[in-house]
Amino acid sequence: MKVRQFLICLVPLLAGALPAMAQDIPRTADGTPFLQGIWQAQTRAAFSLEDHVARHDMQAGQSVVAGGSIPYQDWAREKQQANFANRAELDPLNKCYLPGVPRIMAMPWPFQIFQTPEHVAITFEWTQVYRLIYAGGQEQMYPGFEHWMGDSRGHWEGDTFVVVVRDSNDRSWMDAAGNFHSIGAVITERYTMEDADTIRYEATIDDPEVFTEPWTISYPLVRQTDMDRLLEYQCQAEVEEANGAFERVDNLWYPASIPEENIPFDASAGADLPLPAVPADIPRHADGTPDLTGLYTQGGIANYGLEKRENLALFPPANGVIIDPVDGVLPYQRWARAEMLERREPWRGYDDPTAHCFVAGIPRSHYVPSPYMILQPPGYTVVLHERMSYRVIDMNRREHLPDSIRLWMGDALGHWEGDVLVIESANYNGKAWQNELGDVTSHAQTVREYYIPQADGFVYRATVSDPIAYSRPWTMQMPMPRQDGELLEVACLEDNNDLEHLRDVRDEHRATLSEEQ
Amino acid sequence: MKLQGIARLLLLSCIFYPVSGFSHHSFSAEFDIEQPIALTGKVTRMQWSNPHGWIYIDVENDDGSVTNWALETSAANNLIRRGWKREDLPAGTTIVVEGFRARNGTPTANIRGIQLEDGRRLFSGNAEELRN
Repeated sequence: MKVRQFLICLVPLLAGALPAMAQDIPRTADGTPFLQGIWQAQTRAAFSLEDHVARHDMQAGQSVVAGGSIPYQDWAREKQQANFANRAELDPLNKCYLPGVPRIMAMPWPFQIFQTPEHVAITFEWTQVYRLIYAGGQEQMYPGFEHWMGDSRGHWEGDTFVVVVRDSNDRSWMDAAGNFHSIGAVITERYTMEDADTIRYEATIDDPEVFTEPWTISYPLVRQTDMDRLLEYQCQAEVEEANGAFERVDNLWYPASIPEENIPFDASAGADLPLPAVPADIPRHADGTPDLTGLYTQGGIANYGLEKRENLALFPPANGVIIDPVDGVLPYQRWARAEMLERREPWRGYDDPTAHCFVAGIPRSHYVPSPYMILQPPGYTVVLHERMSYRVIDMNRREHLPDSIRLWMGDALGHWEGDVLVIESANYNGKAWQNELGDVTSHAQTVREYYIPQADGFVYRATVSDPIAYSRPWTMQMPMPRQDGELLEVACLEDNNDLEHLRDVRDEHRATLSEEQ
Repeated sequence: MKLQGIARLLLLSCIFYPVSGFSHHSFSAEFDIEQPIALTGKVTRMQWSNPHGWIYIDVENDDGSVTNWALETSAANNLIRRGWKREDLPAGTTIVVEGFRARNGTPTANIRGIQLEDGRRLFSGNAEELRN
């Protein structure tokens, strides 16, 4: 067949097949496919990438590996089979460890993709894991260290988003069947929209140390149309609440009510403090919106106390970050201040949720001593915390979640007032601490935050209204300098050697108390 | 105050106060400031982990026995951002450290300063300065 005849044959075929692929998918203004949305894999690959029969807590499924089976070296297949036989003990996911790539993509939990020209972020409902994919040609700044979730660099090849993942560690598994790779694995993912509601996901694993040749998996990601935000599943927190290692606090967690002994909450109290001015020379997006994109850290000082302190052993003196009330003293209810003071005792250190590697909540996530990255994809402000949690601030939704839904990170709605980003949040579960010193928060808190752009960062202000623990609203304010650099990964739970020490100190105290009685 | 001034202040406080630079748990809940400790030993392993790194050293006791101490440092990510590499603390290196013992009596300490035998300080400041 001559070439021209072949093309003539092909055109009608393409006309039937291509328009659905090429035209009916969402695209950005420059024509790039727009992957943003809430998705979930439609596959049994989380249980095993290969053909597998059902087991306890495992659905049966057919292979997603091109060619059917993974081309292991002989020794590696033996290791995978030993992993499978001992999976209850060995599977890192059973310890709530970070799943790694590609396993996270196939897990039966929804995830949300956010897209800008420079970054693609994927936030997962499972344990607030996220992936940040540098998509603007950025060079990797810190090579030579491996991470649970690897280092991801993306680029577009036509309508396919191609992501190369390197520097993955060798501690994660690729599924619940014990399939694994080495540190040297290069995983190349391909995201191609087949229609507006389907992404074809492919990943090629190239790892000569473990396999005889590169191999590829493939399954669809399906748009989730029954939700407009993800909720939370905090794996380790749920485990520890279920087994009693993390103890319930009845008077602070949802649905605690306002104690009868409380001074009535004066919601109208609060100085009418002017906002710091926004200078003219702040970075802006093309549409004039302030550009907050970047890496920030407050350095952690407020993590060691919000109030002014001068003579507190171990802690550097600080002026405090409370600007209202103007005396810098938190307007605690009497019992709540007593609780805060008790939390400074060594035997209460175990009770701080971040000591368990749980998420820090709001506003604390802004001043833990780990940086965070702000992205501004269409319709959202996304804050990725290095200590592996995130907050999605919805810039369009105007109503909070139903009152009965409670989250560690709350439900955040944002809008612009001039050049200031204002964030209203509610739906907290009351499990967080405000900082390492034990300042108190309850589920009743609502927070109004301001990101006030400056030339070299922004000023962070938060007004906290918590009618359970405080007698009136109060406001903190602190500078947030923009940093050079990239996000790294804090795999906290995976190497947390501290908690058993803290538990020893608590248990010794409890033993002493019971002896005295 | 300018933002850069704040950043410098934070850095200084991280150097001089034991609690600062701590990232995810109360310092005083785990370590006892009443039990300062100085140790000299050979590195057996460094764990580049977060929110704390850990250095393990063999320390010879007065009776000739050897104890492997676990020494908590700041987050590996802090060291990585300042240019430190895995190769900078190979096993077998003798180091001198100062810090505070864990309350629970295990051979564990939080360390503030790390020196090589020749007096050069490790992990404080810029990685390039030490290598040159």
